[in-house]
Amino acid sequence: MAKLISLCLKLVILCRIADAVFEDQVGKFDWRQQYVGKVRFAHYDMHAQSSKKVLLATEKNVFASLNTRTGELHWRHVDKTGPEGNIDALLLHGQDAVLIVGNGRLLRSWEIHVGGLNWEVVLDSGSFQSACFVGQQDSVRYVAVLKKAAISLHYLSNGHQKWLENLPESETVLYQAIYSGGDGEVYVLGIVPHSHLAIVAYSIEDGEITKQVSVEAPWLSNIQASCAVVGQGTLMCVDPATVSLYMLDLQAQAQMTQVPLQSLGLEVSPGFHPVLVSTQPNPARPPLSEFFLQVGPDHHLLLQLNNGQLVTLRDFQPALLVSFATTGEKTVTAVMTPRNKTACSLNLFSADSGRRLLDTTLIFTMDPNGGRPEKLYVQAFLKKDDSVGYRVIVQTEDHTLTFIQQPGRVMWTREEALSDVVTMEMVDLPLTGTQAELEGEFGKKTDGLLSMVLKRLSSQLILLQAWVAHLWKLFYDARKPHSQVKNEVSIENLSRDEFNLQKMMVMVTASGKLFGIDSKTGTILWRHYLDNVPSNAVFKLMVQRTTAHFPHPPQCTLLIKDKDTGLATLHVFNPIFGKKSHITPPALPQPILQSLMLPLNDQDYAKVLLLIDNQYKVSAFPSTKNVLQQLQEMASSIFFYLIDSSQGRLSGYRLRTDLSTELIWEVVVPTEVQRIVSVKGKRPNEHVHSQGRVMGDRSVLYKYLNPNLLAVVTESTDLHQERSFVGILLIDGVTGRIIHEAVQRKARGPVHLVHSENWVVYEYWSTKSRRNEFSVLELYEGMELYNSTVFSSLDRPHPPQVLQQSYIFPSSISTLEATLTEKGITSRHLLVGLPSGAILSLPKMFLDPRRPEIVSEQSREENLIPYAPEMPIRTEWFINYNQTVSRVQGIYTAPSGLESTCLVVAYGLDIYQTRVYPSKQFDVLKDDYDYMLISSVLFALFFATMISKRLAEVKLLNRAWR
Amino acid sequence: MSHRERAASAWFVVQAMLAVAFCFSDTDTGPSAGLSTQTNGDRFKIEGRAIVPGVKTQDWVWTARVLVEGEEYVGFLRTDGGFAVNDVPPGSYVVEIVTPAYKFEPVRVDITSKGKMRARLVNYIKTSEVIRQPYPLQVRSTGPHTYFMKRETWGWTDFLMNPMVMMMVLPLLIIVLLPKVVNTNDPEMRKEMEQSMNMLNPNPELPDVSEFMTKLFSGSKGSSKPGGSSKGTRPAVKRR
Repeated sequence: MAKLISLCLKLVILCRIADAVFEDQVGKFDWRQQYVGKVRFAHYDMHAQSSKKVLLATEKNVFASLNTRTGELHWRHVDKTGPEGNIDALLLHGQDAVLIVGNGRLLRSWEIHVGGLNWEVVLDSGSFQSACFVGQQDSVRYVAVLKKAAISLHYLSNGHQKWLENLPESETVLYQAIYSGGDGEVYVLGIVPHSHLAIVAYSIEDGEITKQVSVEAPWLSNIQASCAVVGQGTLMCVDPATVSLYMLDLQAQAQMTQVPLQSLGLEVSPGFHPVLVSTQPNPARPPLSEFFLQVGPDHHLLLQLNNGQLVTLRDFQPALLVSFATTGEKTVTAVMTPRNKTACSLNLFSADSGRRLLDTTLIFTMDPNGGRPEKLYVQAFLKKDDSVGYRVIVQTEDHTLTFIQQPGRVMWTREEALSDVVTMEMVDLPLTGTQAELEGEFGKKTDGLLSMVLKRLSSQLILLQAWVAHLWKLFYDARKPHSQVKNEVSIENLSRDEFNLQKMMVMVTASGKLFGIDSKTGTILWRHYLDNVPSNAVFKLMVQRTTAHFPHPPQCTLLIKDKDTGLATLHVFNPIFGKKSHITPPALPQPILQSLMLPLNDQDYAKVLLLIDNQYKVSAFPSTKNVLQQLQEMASSIFFYLIDSSQGRLSGYRLRTDLSTELIWEVVVPTEVQRIVSVKGKRPNEHVHSQGRVMGDRSVLYKYLNPNLLAVVTESTDLHQERSFVGILLIDGVTGRIIHEAVQRKARGPVHLVHSENWVVYEYWSTKSRRNEFSVLELYEGMELYNSTVFSSLDRPHPPQVLQQSYIFPSSISTLEATLTEKGITSRHLLVGLPSGAILSLPKMFLDPRRPEIVSEQSREENLIPYAPEMPIRTEWFINYNQTVSRVQGIYTAPSGLESTCLVVAYGLDIYQTRVYPSKQFDVLKDDYDYMLISSVLFALFFATMISKRLAEVKLLNRAWR
Repeated sequence: MSHRERAASAWFVVQAMLAVAFCFSDTDTGPSAGLSTQTNGDRFKIEGRAIVPGVKTQDWVWTARVLVEGEEYVGFLRTDGGFAVNDVPPGSYVVEIVTPAYKFEPVRVDITSKGKMRARLVNYIKTSEVIRQPYPLQVRSTGPHTYFMKRETWGWTDFLMNPMVMMMVLPLLIIVLLPKVVNTNDPEMRKEMEQSMNMLNPNPELPDVSEFMTKLFSGSKGSSKPGGSSKGTRPAVKRR
C-alpha cells in the first residue's frame, strides 16, 4: 500500500514538473539546420530527366540525398563515426547507389528514391583499393571490388557474390586500380614499385584469368594518382620526372609508348605533379578518348587520343577547375576560369571538339570571407532545343556548397563547415539608439530634478515616436500581399529585444570558419574563413568585451592552438559583425599551456586574458600599463592550474607581481593505474540564488559553494570489466586540497560530467550490469555557514558533507549539460543528448541524493521524490520533439533576460536552437494566454454591473411607489 | 549510498546469474543453423525486422536506424523493414530501432562466443532476468511518439461542470425561483417560511460577515451593537 501511495505521489510530481512543448509551439521559438559534412563524393541522379536529387557521401560518414532546387535534405543516413563508417566509394547506377564502407568491409546498395537499403553484404577482410561497375552488352549487372589481395564480383540486384578470386603474387604486387570497358573482362592493375606494372584480366563469367601481363614501368609509383584509362582500353600514365605521357593498350600491347610532353609543345609547372582526368559515362562501355591533363595549378589541357595519336583539342589557361558531365549521348566539359579577385566564370565546352558552347557562361562570385573553389560537380541536361544546359555545385575550401543555375543565379548555399562546430558563445545584441538613450537615463544620477524630468519626457517622446513608426510600418505592410512581407534579418537592423531572447551565436568550426548566426531565425549573418588554421587545431573562444560598453565595440578572442606543437595564435574580432579587430594580438612564440580570463577590465572595459607558456611565463592581453598595474596589485590572489594528462599531474600555480609564477601544489595521479580524462570547473557566469536548502523541519542545510572547485575524472588504464573503474576527484583549485574522492568500481567511460552550484552529476557505463548509470554528488557545509559573507578557499577549516546517490539511466548518452538562468532562481534541468538525436530535459530533482527510500512527513514537506533506481525517459521531455539532432557534440546554454527562460543550442551534425523554461514561464504571460477570454469576461462583468444597477434602481423606485 | 550497498550485496547473485546467462544452452533457438556461414572471425550479425502496423515501409524506413548499445554499432533498415547489424563481437547488447516518428521497445540480444543468439526483454534493474523474445528479432512499433502536451482548452461545459460553479449556481436558482413557485401572499405559507428561516438562522443576534468585515477595518472599538446592525442589513426579512 505504501508503495502504491509513493507511486501515486511520484506520478503527481511527474505530472506537475513535466514541461513539454505544445504542438502549436512547433517552430515558434526553435529551429534546426541539418548538415552532412564535407562532401567527398557527389553524383546527380540521372535516372530521370526531371530528377531533383543529388547524392552526397561525406567525410562525416554520412550518405544523403539533397533536393537540388532547395538544397534541403530528402533523406540522410548517418553511419558510425571513425574508420568503421568511412565511405570509401560511391557508385551510382539508375536507382541504386552502391557504397563501400569501412575500408572495404561492407558493400551496401541503397534505393535512392525511398532512401532504404536494398541489400548489405559483408566483404572479406583486406584493405580496399578500388571498385567499379561491370557491364556487359550495354547493361550494368555487377559491381567489382578490388581489395589488397582479392577481387570479388557481386550482382547489383542482390549483392550476392558471383565469384571471388585471389590475386596472383599479391605479396609483391600492389594492386591499385580496376577497369572494365564492358567487353566481358575486368582488368586489375597493380605495380611493383620501381619495377613493373602488372595487368591481370579476369573473365566476368567465371573469374578465370584470361590474360596476365607485366609491363616495364620503373618510374611508376601510384596508378591512382598518375594514370587513367581512356578510349578503347588504353592506359595513359604521366611521369613527372621525364615529363612525358606513357600509353599502353591493355588488350594488345606489352610495351609502353612514351610521348614526351614537349613533342606536344607543353611544359609542366615546376614542382607540380601532372594529373589525368578521364570520363566513362556508361560503365558498360569504354571511356571516352578525350581526357584532361593538368600541367599546372591553373593550366589544363583537353587532349584526345585518336588512333594512337594525341591531339590537343584545347588549352585552358588559366583554368582553376575542370569537370566532365554527360547527358544522353553528349559529354561536355565545364571549365572554371578566374575573372578577377572575387569572381570566376564557368563555361561549357564540347568534349569531342573542344568548341565553346554558346550562352553557357555562368558567373560564380567568390565570398571574400570564404575559401577558394575546390571541386565542381556539374549536372548537364538537354534543353528543349537539344542544346546542353547545366547547373553546378561549387565546393570551396571552407566546405561550402554553392548551387548555381544559369545565368549565375545562386539557388542555394550550404555551409557544411557547420556540421563540425567545435565551440560557441552567445553574445548579446547591441542596443538600438532609442534603447541606449533610455538606458543612459539611469546611468547618471548627478543631474537635478528638473533636468531628469525633462530627460524622462524626451525619452518617452522618442519611445512614442518609435511606436508610431512601428504602427505605421505594420499598417503599411498589412496592405502588401503576404508573400512580399519578409522580415529579413540583417546586421543593420539587429537589435536587442526587450527580454534579450535574441542573441548572436558565434560558432567556431573545425575547418576554421567562423559564423555569426541570429539565434531567433538561424540566419547566418556573417562568416569568416581563417585559412591558416592547422588541421589538428583546438579552439577556445572567449568574450573579452560584451556589447554593454558602448561606444567600445564588443570583442571576442579566439585562441587557435596547434595540438602537436602547442603553438597558438589569437584572432580578435567583433562578434556582431564578424570583422577582424584592428587590435593586433600579441605574437606567441612559445607553446601555450593555459589561458584564463580574469575578472579585471582594462580602461576600455575589455577583460584581461592571461596566457601561460611552457616556460611558465605569463603574458596578458591586452597588456597596457593600466592592466599591468592592476595585475601587480591583484597578483597575490590570482591562481591557476595546469593539467598534464600524459604524466597524470595536476599542478597549481600562483602569479607573482613580476608576472612569473610559483608552483604551490601538485597532485599526481599515477598513470600506470589511471589517467585523467577531463577536468571541469564551474561556469564563471553562473549565479546561485539560494545559499541553502530548507529542510522539512525548517532548518537550513547550507550549500558548499566553492567557486574554485574542480572536478577531475579519471579512468583506469586496466579495461578488464572486473577491474576497470572510474574515479572522481574534487580538488580545490587554489589550495590543491582534495575535498572528496569517489570511485565507481566496475565502471568505465566515456564519462560525461556536469559541475555546477554545489553538485556534480556524472554518467558512466557500468560493466557489471551493462547499463548506463548516473551518479550525483552534492556538497553541503552543514547546518551553519562558516563565513557567510565571503568564500575563501584558504580559510575553510571544515570539510563539506558529501551526499551521493546513483541511478540507472535506460539509454546511453552523447552529451550532458545543465540549464543556466540569469539569477539562478529557476530550478535546474539537465539537458541530455541521446544517441537517437533527442535532447532530454531531465529535472535536477530526479538527481538529488536526498531522495528518500522511505517517504516520511519531512521528505514530503521538502518535495523530495521517493528514490527509484531507474530514471524515467519520457518523450514529452524531449525539448526538440521530432527534430532530432544527429551526433550531438555539445549543448550550449545561455541565460536570457527573463529569469524563467534559458536559451539552448545543441550542435553536432545538426544545429538546433530552442528555449527551455525549467520552472515554466512564471515571469511572463504564456504565449497561449487567452486575452479574448479575459477581456470578454471583464466586459461581461462590466455590462452586468451596469444592467443590474439600472434594474435595482427601477425596483427601488417601484417599491417607493407602492 | 544505501543503494550502492544493496547493489553490492546483490552482486554475487547477479554474477552467478550472469554466468548462467552467458553459457545458456537452448534447443529451441533456430539461428545457430545458419550461423556457420555468417561468422567472420569472431564477429556476428544481429538480424531482425521492424514493423509499424498500418504504415507503408517506404514512408518511414529512411528515417530509421538500428542502434546497438548506443551508437557502438549501427545498422540501417532495408526497404522491406528488415535489418542486419554486421560485425558485432560476442556479448550482450541492447538493440534499439530509432526513428523520430515511431516508438519501438528495445531488445537485449546476447551473443555467445560460439555465435548463439537469443533475444530477451530489456530489464535494467534485474539485468539477468530472461523473458524471451523471438530471434531473428521481430520489433513491432507501439505507436507514434507523444512529444506534445495537450493545451488546456477552455469551454463552457468545463466552466459549468466545475464543482465550485455548481455550488454557486444551485443556491442562486433556489433563491430566484423559490419565491416564484411558492405563493408568498398566503399567510400560512409566510408563517411556515418564517419558522424555517428561524431554524436556518437559530441565533439572529449572531454577527454576519459584512459586519465582521466592517469591524475588522474600522477597528475593534467602533462596533459594539451587533443586534442593531444585523437588523439594518436585513430589512426585507424583518418587514415580512
